Amino acid sequence: MKYLFSLLILILTQVFFAQKSTLSGSITDSKTGETIVGAKIYIKSINKGTVTNSYGFYSLTIPSGIYDVIFSANSLDSVREKIDLNADFSLNVELGQKIQNLSEININAKQKDNINSTKIGQIELEIAQLKTLPAFMGEVDIIKMIQLLPGVSSASEGGQGFYVRGGGPDQNLVLLDEAQVYNASHLFGFFSVFNADAVKSVNLIKGGMPANYGGRMSSVLEVSMNEGNYKKFKLKGGLGLIFSRLTLEGPIKKDKGSFIVSARRTYIDVLMKSFIPKTSNFAGSGYYFHDFNLKANYKLGKKDKIFLSSYYGKDEFTYTNARDNFSVKMPWGNAITALRWNHIFSPKLFMNVTGTFTDYLFKFVSEQDIFKFELKSGIKDVGGKVDFSYYPNSRHKIKWGSEYLFHTFTPTSVSASQEDVVFDTGKAQKLKSHETAIYLLDEIDLNEYVRVNVGLRYNMYHFVGPFTRFINGSLNGQDSQIEYKKNEVIKFYNGLEPRLSGRILVNETSSIKAGYNYNYQYVHLTSLSAVSLPTDIWFPSTDIAKPQTGWQGTVGYFKNFKKNMFETSVELYYKKMNNLIEYKQGALPQDNVNDNTDNLLVFGEGWSYGAEFFIKKSIGKLTGWIGYTWSKTDRYFPDLQATIFPAKYDRRHDLSIVAGYKLNNRWTFGAVFIYATGNTLTLPTSWYVQDQDLLFNYGSRNSTRMAPYHRLDLSATLYDKPTKTHFDEKTGEKIEVEKKCRSNLSFSIYNVYNRANPYFLYIDNDGELLKGDFKITVKQVTLFPIIPSVTWNFEF
Amino acid sequence: MKTQKIIGLIVLLFFTISCEKEVEIEIPGYEKQLVVDGFIETNQPPFVLLSNSQDIYSPTDLNSFLSGFISGAIITVSDGTNSVVLDEICTDNLPPGTEEFAAQIFGLPVEEIANYHLCAYTSFNPLIFGQVGKTYDLTVSYEGKNYTSTTQILAPTYFDSTYWKPTEGLTDYGYSYVTLSDPVETKDAYKWEVKRINKNEDGKEIDATFTKTFQPIFNDDFINGLTFDFWYENPMSFKEENSKSEFRGYYKLNDTVVIKFSKMDQITFEFFEKKYVQLSSGGSPFASPSNIPTNIKGGALGVWAGFSPIFDTLICKQ
Repeated sequence: MKYLFSLLILILTQVFFAQKSTLSGSITDSKTGETIVGAKIYIKSINKGTVTNSYGFYSLTIPSGIYDVIFSANSLDSVREKIDLNADFSLNVELGQKIQNLSEININAKQKDNINSTKIGQIELEIAQLKTLPAFMGEVDIIKMIQLLPGVSSASEGGQGFYVRGGGPDQNLVLLDEAQVYNASHLFGFFSVFNADAVKSVNLIKGGMPANYGGRMSSVLEVSMNEGNYKKFKLKGGLGLIFSRLTLEGPIKKDKGSFIVSARRTYIDVLMKSFIPKTSNFAGSGYYFHDFNLKANYKLGKKDKIFLSSYYGKDEFTYTNARDNFSVKMPWGNAITALRWNHIFSPKLFMNVTGTFTDYLFKFVSEQDIFKFELKSGIKDVGGKVDFSYYPNSRHKIKWGSEYLFHTFTPTSVSASQEDVVFDTGKAQKLKSHETAIYLLDEIDLNEYVRVNVGLRYNMYHFVGPFTRFINGSLNGQDSQIEYKKNEVIKFYNGLEPRLSGRILVNETSSIKAGYNYNYQYVHLTSLSAVSLPTDIWFPSTDIAKPQTGWQGTVGYFKNFKKNMFETSVELYYKKMNNLIEYKQGALPQDNVNDNTDNLLVFGEGWSYGAEFFIKKSIGKLTGWIGYTWSKTDRYFPDLQATIFPAKYDRRHDLSIVAGYKLNNRWTFGAVFIYATGNTLTLPTSWYVQDQDLLFNYGSRNSTRMAPYHRLDLSATLYDKPTKTHFDEKTGEKIEVEKKCRSNLSFSIYNVYNRANPYFLYIDNDGELLKGDFKITVKQVTLFPIIPSVTWNFEF
Repeated sequence: MKTQKIIGLIVLLFFTISCEKEVEIEIPGYEKQLVVDGFIETNQPPFVLLSNSQDIYSPTDLNSFLSGFISGAIITVSDGTNSVVLDEICTDNLPPGTEEFAAQIFGLPVEEIANYHLCAYTSFNPLIFGQVGKTYDLTVSYEGKNYTSTTQILAPTYFDSTYWKPTEGLTDYGYSYVTLSDPVETKDAYKWEVKRINKNEDGKEIDATFTKTFQPIFNDDFINGLTFDFWYENPMSFKEENSKSEFRGYYKLNDTVVIKFSKMDQITFEFFEKKYVQLSSGGSPFASPSNIPTNIKGGALGVWAGFSPIFDTLICKQ
């Protein structure tokens, strides 16, 4: 640690003595006025460059002189500017749309970025490309695309939970415009909460996590919402078989501010209504979800900009049985708001201040006759962060900042009543905690070949009252308890998280990269089931549940071929995780009577290691990638089992092939093929009889493996003509004019060869032992057969 | 139980959109284990059945099932003062008058019971009959191994009252209700069993034995110290072939129902609680794959349970 500090001080000393001029500004899309994330600024003569940050801001400090500067971004025309730089200079650049009749699509303007940057285990997804790939039930889904990347696997068929390099789904920091999202899925995990029409960029960090991110162990999924069109109003949407979506965007004041509002709703409930007659016992049963995105932003002069981002989504499952006078309502959803302020102190110093609010709530209400039962579980986070980016010269990018979150967790709150009798369900337990962090990082070019990103993060966590700690006494005796007062610190944790990543350029087309990160995580997700459900409970660190900690080491070789047409990489990683949690055998978290959820938990550790191979083709008519991962993930929970066992998502092989083909201006085709080793699960190894009831005895945890998962999806998108022909009144010549209204039809087929992939297995027993027709069988449940879908998308 | 209910509903939803097929898959790790199924009730002799656990893929015909029962073990029950070795009583050599009971225990027709060699362990020595307040130790010696367990017979809780009322919209059918005052100072757990004793056409009681309801076990987590009313369904009606589906679950006007309401200790409750959770989740992976905890030490499965039942007769009239 001492060496790390010395290195930082040495670097900072160098930084402050440098004397150069700074070129800075923002890069926007000329058509919409939206800022562009990750646009590239490059000066060939001195081989220096930078990219815009997530707010479209760039800063490049270089020796004074005359330069040819190239500004470029995905699928937009590059701009070349000659600049006489003898003092600090601010230049905002607008990049124009490429002419549509290009026969090729170039999906990666950041060519060579994979070789040059220190980013290891980091992938940015292009939303435009995602929209041409096969979509499940016609809905473009960011998280499903993330699952196609090496090192990332899905929880189960259709599932939204994603596992990064052997870490659990709770170990992914999912950020929507910098606010945390706790349960990023709809419909029990089949669709993500991210509406692709409202999303601007997606960035996944699965290794070598920089110091400005923290609070999770495995990965960061950073999703930025569109800002809205600064120039004109636009309406776009899509009509699908079970979904529709609509987006409106436009200027609040032209070139000063803009907004975007986007909404989606399923009509499964409406479809179900037509199948269930009104006289049926089950009339009123159904399911729907809707979500709503809003973003507004406004430039307050040249140096300030504010953003308001908001998401609200709700799922509701209802079940009614009129005969038994029984009904269930199960709503759950997220409400997220982020308010941000960008300020440019100087061409070299950029600041972002964010205030965030996240509310996740799951509710279960059941009524039968006069008996009413209600269960609630949720999280409320209120927080803020300040981030500074300082660009002293072209060799350094320094960031520092601080972050604070106040968590209120309600793991389970139960109430039950029967007419006038209110049952004793205990006090609703709310767990409150403060999470704070400060960080400093610098990305340094040590020389032409070596670049390092070195950082340090310090975190603190206070678990505070009011809180009642129940201590379980003897089986037939009374429990004891400790009462903590409001704001009383029950437990304090803190720790340092060193982060280091670097690259060595081997030559023009290849580099070697390595990364190390140590992480603390103060939240846990506890799951009773083998698949991810809204009944999974988020739980904070307490005096009993220690924070998860872990480290990851990764090393990779990156090489581009054929003038960057092909990007390839091989990455190896090793990851160690401590203080992981699971429920005790047979735990039933059903109430809060004289007990705390963490009394039902056991603690363990985990390991994961693997190799990831990636080939990506970004240029040409045919684009896409092939990713293959070999990995091994184990867990050890001494209170569950004396031996190490495989994690439920331990997958030896994971292959994804993703391809897009642009035939012409009208037709684009997409294909996705996936092959993955089957998930593990625990099945009964034996049966026995007690009081004439058949009971099962389970064997070693996760000792059974399901059949491999494989699937092919295909898609085709038919675009209307981008232009229409007009006659120039003056010249009488035909001219092509861009159409105001655009539309496309997107056809996709999920699971083309109708593979019966295992969703889960269970033991089925039929007949009666004493009648002699008794039979035990293993049944495999498959969720999705071949599913064709069509969606009509429009924009005007 | 509510978590189970949520999971059950989600399972229901998935089953509506999914399809299933039988698969053959390797399930490694089977080890044969002794299963102890023993109980002792107030004023009753101890009673123990022994069997072996079976491989998940082992044959499941009647003979394979019946051959799982074990004879030749030495079983001792002690209340701290008296220690009694239980007698092995087999179905092919039953003491007169016990055939009906034995047939019920093994679930076989009474006329066939003598054709099998199925053994149980009990004692007719009144010194070891169950008494409230006593602790009973069990020792099983079989194939050179010893298995031990302990259970208690706790003081019972009596009902304040029992009653029947017709369900809304019906005049002759309804659930059985009781008013219970749960003791505040103890952790209490209960089991509910019933039988109807009104006579059928043959002049015999309708139900020969007590039947458990679908969720016959509960404890006082929610109701500690409260006086409250609750109801239970008629579990026998679901097995009656001639009963109309709309009346299933209800007692009929004029039924006479004996309710057997047994109290048990917490460790026994844990076994039964998890047993019924497993029975209701049916091996689904939506529920945690958990084994039923046993109170038998030494590597066996099963339970050694002490019960203090009370019996209350309810005549279904308003």
